[in-house]
Amino acid sequence: MQNYPEELRTPPVRLISLVGCPDLHPTISNHLLSEQPPIHTLAFPDLSNISFLLPLPSSKESSEPSLSTPPPGILKRDWLLKRRTKVPAVVAALFPSLHVSGDPAQWLQLCSDLDHLKAVTRSRNIKLVVIIVHSDSRDDINEDRMIALRKRAEVDTKYVIFVKPNDASDLSQSLHRLRNSFSELANVYYKDEGRKLKTRIEKRTSSYTELNIRYCFKAAVYAEFLSDWIEALRFYEDAYNKLWEISGLPTKSLSIQRLVEIKTVAEHLHFKISTLLLHSGKVVEAVTWFRQHITLYSRLIGEPDTEFLHWEWMSRQFMVFAELLETSSTTSLSIPALGLGTGNKPLTEWEFHSAYYYQLAANYLKEKRSSFELISSMYINADELEKTTESLVPSVYVGQYCRLLEQVDVTLMQIVTDKEFLNNTIAGEKKHQEPFHMITLLKKAYESYSHAKAQRMSSFCACQIAKEYYAMDNLEEAKRHFDNVASLYRREGWITLLWEVLSYLRDLSRKHGIVKDYLEYSLEMAALPISFDVHMLSLRSKDCCPVNPATLDNREKIHNEVFNLVHEESVLASVEHGKELKVTGDNPVHLEIDLVSPLRLVLLASVAFHEQVIKPGVPTLITVSLLSHLPLTIELDQLEVHFNQSECNFIVVNAERLPSAAMASDKHGHRVEQAPSLALSSNKWLRMTYQIKSDQSGKLECTSVIAKIRPNFTICCRAESPASMDDLPVWKFENHLETLPTKDPALAFSGLKTIQVEELDPEVDLILSASTPALVGETFIVPVTVVSKGPDIHSGELKINLVDVRGGGLFSPRETESFSSSHHVELLGISGMEDNADSHLISDEAMKIKQSFGLISVPFLKRGEPWSCKLQIKWHRAKPIMLYVSLGYSPLSDDPNAQKINVHRSLQIDGKPAVTIGHHILLPFRRDALLLSRTKAIPQSDQSLSLPLNETCILVISAQNCTEVPLQLLSMSIEADNDGIEEKSCSIKNASSNLVDPALLTPGEEFKKVFTVTSEINSSKQIRLGNVLLRWKRYSKTEDQYDSNVGSVLTTQSLPDVDIEFSPLIVCMESPPYAILGDPFTYFIKIKNQSKLLQEVKFSLADVQSFVISGSHDDTISILPVSEHVLGYKLVPLASGMLQLPRFTLTSARYSASFQPSMAESTVFVFPSKPPCELADKGDAGPESSGPISTSLS
Amino acid sequence: MGREVSESCVDSLLTEMVSTYCNRFYANKPELAARRIEAIGYQVGHQLSERYTMERPRFTDHLEAIKFICKDFWSELFKKQIDNLKTNHRGTFVLQDNRFRWLTRMSVDPPQGESQDNSADGENKAAQATSMHLYFPCGIIRGALSNLGIPCAVSADISNLPACSFVVRIKV
Amino acid sequence: MIVCVAVVGHQNNPLYIQSFTEADDALKLHHIVHCSLDVVDERVNNPRKSGPTLNETFLGLLYPTENYKVYGYLTNTKVKFIMVTTDLDVRDADVRNFFRRFHAAYVDAVSNPFHVPGKKITSKTFAESVSTIVKSFGFSSAI
Repeated sequence: MQNYPEELRTPPVRLISLVGCPDLHPTISNHLLSEQPPIHTLAFPDLSNISFLLPLPSSKESSEPSLSTPPPGILKRDWLLKRRTKVPAVVAALFPSLHVSGDPAQWLQLCSDLDHLKAVTRSRNIKLVVIIVHSDSRDDINEDRMIALRKRAEVDTKYVIFVKPNDASDLSQSLHRLRNSFSELANVYYKDEGRKLKTRIEKRTSSYTELNIRYCFKAAVYAEFLSDWIEALRFYEDAYNKLWEISGLPTKSLSIQRLVEIKTVAEHLHFKISTLLLHSGKVVEAVTWFRQHITLYSRLIGEPDTEFLHWEWMSRQFMVFAELLETSSTTSLSIPALGLGTGNKPLTEWEFHSAYYYQLAANYLKEKRSSFELISSMYINADELEKTTESLVPSVYVGQYCRLLEQVDVTLMQIVTDKEFLNNTIAGEKKHQEPFHMITLLKKAYESYSHAKAQRMSSFCACQIAKEYYAMDNLEEAKRHFDNVASLYRREGWITLLWEVLSYLRDLSRKHGIVKDYLEYSLEMAALPISFDVHMLSLRSKDCCPVNPATLDNREKIHNEVFNLVHEESVLASVEHGKELKVTGDNPVHLEIDLVSPLRLVLLASVAFHEQVIKPGVPTLITVSLLSHLPLTIELDQLEVHFNQSECNFIVVNAERLPSAAMASDKHGHRVEQAPSLALSSNKWLRMTYQIKSDQSGKLECTSVIAKIRPNFTICCRAESPASMDDLPVWKFENHLETLPTKDPALAFSGLKTIQVEELDPEVDLILSASTPALVGETFIVPVTVVSKGPDIHSGELKINLVDVRGGGLFSPRETESFSSSHHVELLGISGMEDNADSHLISDEAMKIKQSFGLISVPFLKRGEPWSCKLQIKWHRAKPIMLYVSLGYSPLSDDPNAQKINVHRSLQIDGKPAVTIGHHILLPFRRDALLLSRTKAIPQSDQSLSLPLNETCILVISAQNCTEVPLQLLSMSIEADNDGIEEKSCSIKNASSNLVDPALLTPGEEFKKVFTVTSEINSSKQIRLGNVLLRWKRYSKTEDQYDSNVGSVLTTQSLPDVDIEFSPLIVCMESPPYAILGDPFTYFIKIKNQSKLLQEVKFSLADVQSFVISGSHDDTISILPVSEHVLGYKLVPLASGMLQLPRFTLTSARYSASFQPSMAESTVFVFPSKPPCELADKGDAGPESSGPISTSLS
Repeated sequence: MGREVSESCVDSLLTEMVSTYCNRFYANKPELAARRIEAIGYQVGHQLSERYTMERPRFTDHLEAIKFICKDFWSELFKKQIDNLKTNHRGTFVLQDNRFRWLTRMSVDPPQGESQDNSADGENKAAQATSMHLYFPCGIIRGALSNLGIPCAVSADISNLPACSFVVRIKV
Repeated sequence: MIVCVAVVGHQNNPLYIQSFTEADDALKLHHIVHCSLDVVDERVNNPRKSGPTLNETFLGLLYPTENYKVYGYLTNTKVKFIMVTTDLDVRDADVRNFFRRFHAAYVDAVSNPFHVPGKKITSKTFAESVSTIVKSFGFSSAI
């Protein structure tokens, strides 16, 4: 496309010309260019210059070409260029206003200029516009002059335009006006020209098709000037069809030059049509049109000598169309929704891809090259070529060439004969060969196909690129591309294609002198599945490429070449680079075959252990199987089998070939086995079974099998398990007999190349003994004992791990309350053995301890010798944990790298709380205070306790042993918690005496202690009672009873907060401690007003069946401040036993709160008759009730 | 094409094949015998599907292929269609044949006059023998489907005898 | 004239490929067949383009290249048949008929119990019947 002249490639732009007043030209032309559609300007400073551009037409030239003789060509070369750059549609004459209105001399000059201009334009039908430039706004032109001017110029009023360059607003207006007039007139001009041509075409004024084609072309161009694309397309198509009338007639045999001309014109017309179609988005039409174009002209090959011209032309068609498609598809369109199933010639996907056209362009270019080579070899010795030194130049007509004859002062164009033309072209072609042109085309196709994910197409292109590079001796590029392609063909099993590529690669490495590559490619080729199959044989190549037909014979030939080479029997000459291919002792070849290597066809090693797990030192069997697809049998010198445990490696020696090597072990101390023969025949497993044993535990894996074929040629093959062996590439598609790598079919399906060697059985007792659940707070001891039953223990190490059983972790960073550390369970330390501690002291450096992890080294232990230590674990929370202890030791030596044996033990230990501490507060007996907060609030369990001010309450603390072992309670106290509060808000005193002897608590038993609480300060705040401190220890008989603080544990629990409240009213009930049936007694109810206000209260006493009551039941009374009101009742019990006294209810009017004494308080025991003994001082000796009862009696 | 054999021949062949593999080749390894029989079925299904799909457009989804198995393929093999097709729409299909041809001649009647224990044992054995016969049709279904590009696992289920349901689980 | 026919397996591996030219362009034909697989993939993966021929086994013209036209056929079992012809004007019906018979021959070949599914077809009978079908191509009277 870039070869085409600019005027052909781009749509035409209208052209006008400006004459005179040069200072204004840039303004006007810029304006015209910037608007859409643009107008080009041709500017002349002076009127006199115009005649250079537009010489007055001589009569001869202006006349039509004679209608009687055939025109010498179809299209004139420069016609289009002229229309675009030289022949304006409109000429605008610019005059300064001074000249118009000035003196007569100036006016006359102006008139003559106009006349001259008119003469020039009139003959060509060019339109004229007069522009008058006002340099000064003041001067005015009188009307007469204007009329005269118009008449002289013969233009319409609207085509006389005034421009005031000094007035910006006016200027832009007049520029706009100018543009409109120009575009209007230009359209008229092009329309007129087009109409003229159309009438000519319609009238068929010429009988020569050439002329008709020319008219159609011109008409189309004029239509393009007018942006009338449909019309333009129609005329181009007309021209194209008419052209085909000339060329397509089979009867006419066309001369070489004629054919070239026609094709060139067709190319131009086709280019225009395709461009127009593509730009209007009609891709399907464009592709169809292109197809038709190619079908039409592909037949016009011409004479055999000029065939290469045809191929070149074809190639160019494809290339140009590809470029067109590429540019248009990037700008506007995607592939249209295909309506291409229509008709009997449906379009296919690739025909919308530029890649397709690039590829075909390359193909035709190749065609051209081969036919050109043919023709030039015929001409090579001919003298004609030598003579044609002067080159041909394009002649006046498109597609025609002539010789330039330079004479004294004129150059003449001489028409050349076909023969001369041909010679010249061939000579020219020889000079300007472009070797990279084809690669460029192919690369474009390759990239485009790759982009479209058409990997096979792109591989094909890559293959062709590689062949080009190969032909150009660019070995690296060729190899790179070939290698890429080969992998695809390998994967999809296209053997013939692979064979071709490998042939090239093999030849490349030969040329390069790379022995290893050469051997690899040769071996792969030899191992390809090509047999005598009929349909595979038909592969022959006419190219001078290194590809031999893919046959079994050739495989065998290659095989022999390889083995001769490694035998040092032959040296392959690498001609191009003066290098030799040889395999010698200085230059050994070692090939690696891994699991993805294409050379797996050449050698495949399958290794299977007969067992899955073995004990160390116990021998087992291993089968090593080799498979080769090389066409001929190969003999191996020796085979090395390598393992991850290198001491297991062994070597198999071919006894036939290396009888001298029959020694027990080689220099590395590896085992050497002898095999009678190591012959590997085609597609047949060579199976060998050997014994193997390993002393080291862990995984034993066969890593590789190294086949030494000749002293200087080895192949290292990665070992594969039969169970997970992939199919061989390429061969997997073959319908051939497959055999199993092992005799045993089960092993062939499940055999593995790895085996697990078990650890030695540990002969060590590791004992963890912990009897009872651990108690929270104590230091729990877990004894660990190690006893060796078998070998000695060297460099033993004990690892201790504490793990939460529930998996929650041993500490939570959020809960950082009263604990010293955030750990719930902590490994405190490890102490040594209790007895003969001096010999087994655990030094600090031998022990690393963290909160949940510990590491101790165990000293050397002889057989049967015990060793033990104690783990100290402390629970801060009740939590079950798992204790893991593992002992790692080496049974043999002190060497730290020696193999270790590990013994693991674990033990679950529950951490439990030892005691539960409870508390209970008792208010004064039968003395109820009206606590406003209690009466108002909704009774809720979690509401904090309120205590009346200045009253003494009883606090009972209980501690229950909730373990399963007896505990000793050493002390219990309450520690006031006076953080920050200086003044004592309440006093707590021990009501009962301190413990003298530790109290023994059996499981489940409860211990209670009584404290009195007296509140002293009325404080609105809540008051802390403090913490209960409980010191206890496990009870053990053996231990010293009085060494109480050793091993004792302090458990702390805080008491809840209480409110202290002033109560305005207090109700006291007084009744005897007991009554006797039928015996009246007095029951006093004292209502005490503690406040400084008069209190009006309402009370009521409910009737009860068991008593007869005297006294007022209901009443409202007023009680003076700080005084007491006593109600007295006489009661006669009517029944015996524990009886409920009449319920007394008090309602305070001021506080509108009523309260009742609790049920428990208002009971009395009634004896059926007077008891015989004195009951006065008898009370419960328990700490719980002794206090209150004595107060009530006093 | 055009060459046909009588149905009883096919029935006998199937019975003979199963008994040969179970009692002679792999007498003590029922799993291996089952695998072999299934593999034979696989190849048969593979090849038959090639033939029976010849004249039809390609299937667009799995369901279409399964429907083909239920209707046309089954009709070709057994002159009847699958009676009921169920699916969970997540790759499991249950094909139920209420009167599966190759099971119509089967009987699970326990031998008379034996103790309760033995009869249960015998029933178990009979069920095992029956299920051996089902590896072949399972293989056929799997072969046909995998040839149609649907790799799957097929198992059979016999609850009440002439009826049989094949469960197809498509591998993702 | 048909110059090449091929059967391609579902891994895009050739199961059978046979050219019928005297000329030495078998390799080129193999390349053409191989490249045409891209078009088959494209058609199957983007069925929007096929419109009415959706899921039909016959894929129609795959692509024209210099002197050849390549036709394709894709069975339900993802086996591809490729045919390369030099004829410029080929009737659709002829190609369809050809592929139908080719398919039938293929089915007969792979139904051989000794044929392993997915492997190359080495049957001589198949080769013979294919060459018969190829020879009779274009003569619509031959069924």
